[in-house]
Amino acid sequence: MNAPFYKFGLFGDEASFILAFAIGIGFGFFLERAGFGSGRKLAAQFYLRDLSVLKVMFTAIITAMTGVYLLSRFGMMDLSLVYLVPTFLVPQVVGGLLLGVGFVVGGYCPGTSCVSAVTGRIDGMVYLVGMIAGLLGFAEVYPYVQSYAQMTPMGQITLAKLFNLPYGLLVFAVVLMALGAFMAAEWAEKKVGGKEPDPEGSLIARPWHVTPVRILAMGLLAAGFVALFAGDPYRGSHVTMDTRDLAIRAGKGADSVQARQVADWIIQGRNDFRLIDLRGGTDFAAYHIPTAQNVPLASLSPDFAAHNETIILYSDDGTEAAKAWFLLDAQGFKSVYLLDGGLRAWQDAVLFPKKSAETDTAAFERQVQVARFFGGTPQADGAAGPTATAVPLPKLALPAQPAGPDANSSKPQSKKKKEGC
Amino acid sequence: MNSVDRSAKPYWNPYLSGFGLGLVLLASFVIMGRGLGASGAFTTAIATAVHRVAPAHAENNAFYAEYLGDGSRSPLKDWLVFEVLGVFVGGFISGVLANRLKLTVEKGPRIGTPWRLVFAFIGGALMGIGAKIALGCTSGQALTGGSLLNVGSWAFMLSVFGGAYALAYFFRKQWI
Repeated sequence: MNAPFYKFGLFGDEASFILAFAIGIGFGFFLERAGFGSGRKLAAQFYLRDLSVLKVMFTAIITAMTGVYLLSRFGMMDLSLVYLVPTFLVPQVVGGLLLGVGFVVGGYCPGTSCVSAVTGRIDGMVYLVGMIAGLLGFAEVYPYVQSYAQMTPMGQITLAKLFNLPYGLLVFAVVLMALGAFMAAEWAEKKVGGKEPDPEGSLIARPWHVTPVRILAMGLLAAGFVALFAGDPYRGSHVTMDTRDLAIRAGKGADSVQARQVADWIIQGRNDFRLIDLRGGTDFAAYHIPTAQNVPLASLSPDFAAHNETIILYSDDGTEAAKAWFLLDAQGFKSVYLLDGGLRAWQDAVLFPKKSAETDTAAFERQVQVARFFGGTPQADGAAGPTATAVPLPKLALPAQPAGPDANSSKPQSKKKKEGC
Repeated sequence: MNSVDRSAKPYWNPYLSGFGLGLVLLASFVIMGRGLGASGAFTTAIATAVHRVAPAHAENNAFYAEYLGDGSRSPLKDWLVFEVLGVFVGGFISGVLANRLKLTVEKGPRIGTPWRLVFAFIGGALMGIGAKIALGCTSGQALTGGSLLNVGSWAFMLSVFGGAYALAYFFRKQWI
């Protein structure tokens, strides 16, 4: 199984819309089943009378979280291809606070208001009208506040990466935290709301019968426990690729370009190709090949470029690039090339060329000029000097770089539509 | 025929509904490589409508331009738009099956309908603005990002609960 199916080109856009509709039906169905068409039930969360919001939300989160973890860890899904909304810390905290206030004032969040309106709740319909008015108003103000909306960018980053903790450990911790919160919630409902829990649907109410709810809780706990020991889902996911096929296809010389060739094209100012940097935003901000555009692997989708454009892909050592090449090829892109050897080859061949016995002086002289053009340093003949990786990479202000305002931005500059909510 | 019970059926157990919701979310990750959403579809619809009425205005506004795509196809041919249409249909199906379809206003006993509707409007507007600033709502950020251990989503989620609990006291008459 190679998931996510869409990113592997198993079906096209038209089919994805039908699937979107089906997934939406499931989403709306379970929201309504849980009682989330009722603003009064939703708002009871904030008065500790009925903590269904917490229970439903966190059961859904830990179900999907452990599911994604296990599928990825055991080679059925490539987690690096699942879209992660980039983090902008301050805007997300400010927006979250506003949403929280809107929740207790309005009684709904956008998803639940749809369910509420369609089941006849007039306040849900008015809420939707209010949301549309809010969006219309915000659109007019947006050009003036746009820069604030992009404050404190942290790129696409998980908690595991931020705290430098094993992903599996966090999965287990979140499961434990959620189950603990559920029991605390049931206790609070009884204390504050005076609600006597129904033994069939409760985790803590006596008698201690085996009920579907308790089986579910134990299952999720077990899945979290496996995660604690099973390792990194991102690393596990790399085996999902049919590596042999990938190696054979990507290994054909015709599909790669040499670093020096690309350097010449950039110097000539050719603009009939797009150079794509597949690494994360932070790496891209630290250094990238001039003229390159940052499209992290997970953001790669069929509409990021026209199918007939010439695209050159690179990543650190070429593994990610080979993966992206495979994906784009499967999606019908006509001329996609790999930068042979990735960024490492670019460093060795272009930025820090070494004169060896085989290179004649005239050719090396030219390499030196190219290296200087890109801000690199040629290595002396046979000197036991620092290796390419130890030499600091040149500053980004390079002569070949177009002096656009976004030239140093770590933000992806693609024109594609937002994938998030 | 009069044996048919027309009263609203009880809601499902929250853990089991949550499990169902989690499986839908997981299916979205597996099939599409992305999670669920809601507010984005409304922005797309609004951007399309504004573009229809005042094309120049929409194209010159960075907010709308982001949702209009490159013009090669209708912006409404969008994954989230179809997903949200599904949410309406799914909610309706579940409501019908449980006899919960009813024209009514959700509110506590201590507030009149006009005020409740005013608050619903204001809450909706705040939510729309907040969702844009935060790059997502409870679906796109909290559920989706939460299960992917996304840093911004967890910060967002804590803020949502923080904001709601902080002001809950002042709006208690609306609900309890």
